[in-house]
Amino acid sequence: MKKEFQPVKTLNQRTFRKNRGRNVVAVLAILMTTMMFTTLFTLAQSMSRNMVEMTFRQSGYNAHASFKSITEEQAEKIRSHPDVEEVGESTVLGVARNTELANLQTEIRWASESYAAHSYAMPRTGRMPEAENEIALDTRVLERLGIPRQTGEEVTLEWKPDVNSEEVTRSTFTLCGFWEGNESSYAAMAWVSREFADSVTGGNAGGMPVADGQVLGTHMAQVTLKQDGDIEQTMERILEDKGLEGLEYNVNLAWMPETNDTAFQQSLPMYLGMILVFAAGYLIIYNIFQISVTADVQFYGRLRTLGMTGRQIRKLIYGQANRLCLLGIPAGLILGWLLGMVLVPVLLGMLEGESTVSASPVIFAGSALFAWLTVLISCLRPARLASKVSPVEALRMSDAPGGGKQKRKRRQGTASVISMAWANLGRNKKRTVTVICSLSLGLVLLCCFYAKNAAFDMDKYLEWLTIADFELSDVSHGDQMNGYNPRGTTLNDDLTEMLSQAEGVEETGHQYSHQFFWQMDEQTRANYREYYNEDRLADWASYNENQAESMRKNIETGQISAVIYGMDGIPLDTITSDRYIQAGAWDPQAFATGDYVLAIGPAVEPEETADTVLPGPSVGSTVSLEGRDYTVMALVYPLAPVDDGAAEAGVEESQELHFIIPAETFREQWPENTLRQFFLNVDDGAAEDVQKLLDDYTENVDGSLPVTSRQTMARQYEEETRSAAVMGNAISLIIALVGVLNFVNSMVTAIVSRKREFAMIQSVGMTKRQLRKMLVSEGLFYAGITLLVSVTVSSAAICTVIRWMTEGGYSTWHFTLLPLAFCAPLLLLFAVLVPWLCFRNLEKQSIVERLRME
Amino acid sequence: MDAVLKATGLKKYYGKGDTLVKALDGINLEIERGKFTAIIGTSGSGKSTLLNMLGGLDTPDEGSIRVGNTELAKLSSEEATVFRRRQIGFIFQNYNLVPVLSVWENIIFPVSLDGKKPDKKFIREIVKLLGLEKKLDSLPGQLSGGQQQRVAIARALASKPAIILADEPTGNLDSRTSDDVIGLLKMTGREFHQTIVMITHNPEIAEMADRIVQIEDGRIVAQ
Repeated sequence: MKKEFQPVKTLNQRTFRKNRGRNVVAVLAILMTTMMFTTLFTLAQSMSRNMVEMTFRQSGYNAHASFKSITEEQAEKIRSHPDVEEVGESTVLGVARNTELANLQTEIRWASESYAAHSYAMPRTGRMPEAENEIALDTRVLERLGIPRQTGEEVTLEWKPDVNSEEVTRSTFTLCGFWEGNESSYAAMAWVSREFADSVTGGNAGGMPVADGQVLGTHMAQVTLKQDGDIEQTMERILEDKGLEGLEYNVNLAWMPETNDTAFQQSLPMYLGMILVFAAGYLIIYNIFQISVTADVQFYGRLRTLGMTGRQIRKLIYGQANRLCLLGIPAGLILGWLLGMVLVPVLLGMLEGESTVSASPVIFAGSALFAWLTVLISCLRPARLASKVSPVEALRMSDAPGGGKQKRKRRQGTASVISMAWANLGRNKKRTVTVICSLSLGLVLLCCFYAKNAAFDMDKYLEWLTIADFELSDVSHGDQMNGYNPRGTTLNDDLTEMLSQAEGVEETGHQYSHQFFWQMDEQTRANYREYYNEDRLADWASYNENQAESMRKNIETGQISAVIYGMDGIPLDTITSDRYIQAGAWDPQAFATGDYVLAIGPAVEPEETADTVLPGPSVGSTVSLEGRDYTVMALVYPLAPVDDGAAEAGVEESQELHFIIPAETFREQWPENTLRQFFLNVDDGAAEDVQKLLDDYTENVDGSLPVTSRQTMARQYEEETRSAAVMGNAISLIIALVGVLNFVNSMVTAIVSRKREFAMIQSVGMTKRQLRKMLVSEGLFYAGITLLVSVTVSSAAICTVIRWMTEGGYSTWHFTLLPLAFCAPLLLLFAVLVPWLCFRNLEKQSIVERLRME
Repeated sequence: MDAVLKATGLKKYYGKGDTLVKALDGINLEIERGKFTAIIGTSGSGKSTLLNMLGGLDTPDEGSIRVGNTELAKLSSEEATVFRRRQIGFIFQNYNLVPVLSVWENIIFPVSLDGKKPDKKFIREIVKLLGLEKKLDSLPGQLSGGQQQRVAIARALASKPAIILADEPTGNLDSRTSDDVIGLLKMTGREFHQTIVMITHNPEIAEMADRIVQIEDGRIVAQ
């Protein structure tokens, strides 16, 4: 007749339907918790993914390992190994020497399809070359050569089959395919056919011995394995199995454990954020269930007297929680992922390349699991409370759990409405504390994020990167691969003259450089030896062993690579301002004579150098630089725009010591060297015009001219701070919202559950006004305590953690509680509004009706 | 005497010093199998505390209670719960029905909690005896006080307990309904061979019992 009656399940269903109000709040809370988890997970995963992808692009390929030199037969053997998925091969012929391609290493190669595909260089339009005269290029190369994006175009490349000879070969091809260039890679690929490769290598495109310094005919391979784990071990095993021990290979940087570690570090804030989300979620869900269980304590007591065991009651509560999860989690997952989709590009805005939003099932499974665990953990205590309700106690319990330990009130005088409100807060201390923690958590976070972002100092940041409105440099200025070319012609006289005479130019500055191996004088060497003692070297070695080792060698031999900068105008004025002087004193008149030199000291905080000897020549001593003697006037701090840049081409790798002399003196001594950097300060109003002038120049004359403008830097600064701020503020806002929800829920339930009590007080003579005043006072007390706690905790956090976090770098720490100033009125408004609305709702029933209620 | 319930030296104190309340102060009581016992006393005399203790809902500070061969003090809270729902039927003054469950569901609730299938034939017999056949699908809120108390009685009987403990089952009922309910209780007790212990402060109702025990200030003063 009837279906099997399952008491726990039936009760679960029916009580669930009864608690509509609680369910709405709980579902909202679970939804927001899940949403935050999902967003953070999406961000973390996308960050890692983009990070790995970026490393792939930087290393130029996404296979697991590569061979820089291998024969076709060896590659075939490796291909036949069961652990190997794919082997791509390529033969290098040479590097294009077309002047248009000066800044972009364009490698002329033959490659198998697999090699091209794994090198981000598979033609999207057209195909790989087949006929001898065909070529496939990327859009970067096409753009520089001024060739339209269209197959069938004629392409002429100049290259040297013999690197050591001056003889340049011109080869003409027909474009058969092209693809979007990989901006992260310094090199571009120019694929030619196997036929062409065979013809220029004399049929040896499959691998031949290549003489030192030559490239023609170098045969390379990229190996994709079937599994991602421990590449190095797998590779060793493959080589051993195939009898190819000793064959040199490189593991792709992106597959190295270090890259994963970095990716993890990048996403660490997200994982920390998750802990906060857990805390916020716990505080509200716990509170909701605690309130619900406390309100229903008599109900649970009744079930206990009827023979329900503690286990069954816990099951009942978890059943309710699970039902709520079923509603809240899926919605939260979707909303969270959508929010993540919006935030990922913002967050990665500072990184180059396109970003991909990860939609991996791990995100959803993980977020759902986390949210579910948060709910279960939040229910732990309420469920225990409900299951431990003693059947007898249940009949006596009211709004104040854990009764029986009431202290006697010794306060005398009137029972004022305000003091009643205060006493009401103390009636359920646990709930009051939970709500205040929940509200404060969001506010404190908001304050901290704000303080951290506000600490980002525009001036410091800009100064670190640029000291002038416009900075132009030689195309090889930053070329770490090939080195700086001191005879470069990027900054020719036509250009500098045109700019110097442009309207609105206020100031200019020049920088030249010359690098050579310098034999230190004894004093300098002694200074070095003293400064770089074993402690400092060991400390250095802990994060960069090579550099420390190289410095050790420099000190031993007394030889160090010296870079002499000739400067005038902006860079010289900047570096000689008081705060950059490390030792000695600046005397512009004396310096202008050309008999003095400035040396650049170490990049350390001023406090650290107060009593130590600095590495470099002593102030006042005389140094001899390539045949001319200079007196050391001062040591100055290093500053990126002034003395950063690539080492000169052909100079042996070493630590460097930098000197500054007047530009004029420099040009007398090294007249062959051309301008390395050119600085320009302009009127505020003229910046646009000069920018236009430069845009014109890069478009029509020299596309490779590197230009840094303060304006673009400032824009970059804003993007960088905005993305970090958006993220932090979004999370703390949601957490604050959760706090508000918690507050509203607590306030409403506290008032509803005391309906009868209020009717009672009203029946003995409290007026509506007084009752309303009492409720509003309760709300205001909540808000007041919350603000007090938030101000205290935020101040403490800002003065310690944030101060510590923003030390150094581009930040200047200020004390600020601005977000609290904004939130305070809002919070107070809520504190008044919620009780007021509740009271209005309460009033709909007469006192007698409310008194009769059970 | 065949004692199904035996309480020895029961004590339960609340508070300390000035505020010390001796709810039970050394109670010795034996209840004979199959008999209908009434416990009377003024409010605050400790009769409810005694009944709750006999049913294992409350625990004494001192003394022991033996139900059949089971020493209640030796049971854990969970074991006591299971023991109670199998051996003891409770009837409360305020009926203690679960508002979200129908009459039928309320009646079979304790049996179902035990994971057992209710003896439908037997329960239908009780339902008929108590005149509840037409109310089985109603919710408790839709019933009158007398009807609710009859549901509570049916529930107490459903698990075929050896003992029924009733705490002022007629306290909220008018005198005619009260007489009906007590009559039914006596009748079902006879029918199903149950021991009944009932609290009341109504001397007339107490007169209907086989034996009357009077409690004042936590002590038995007459029986």
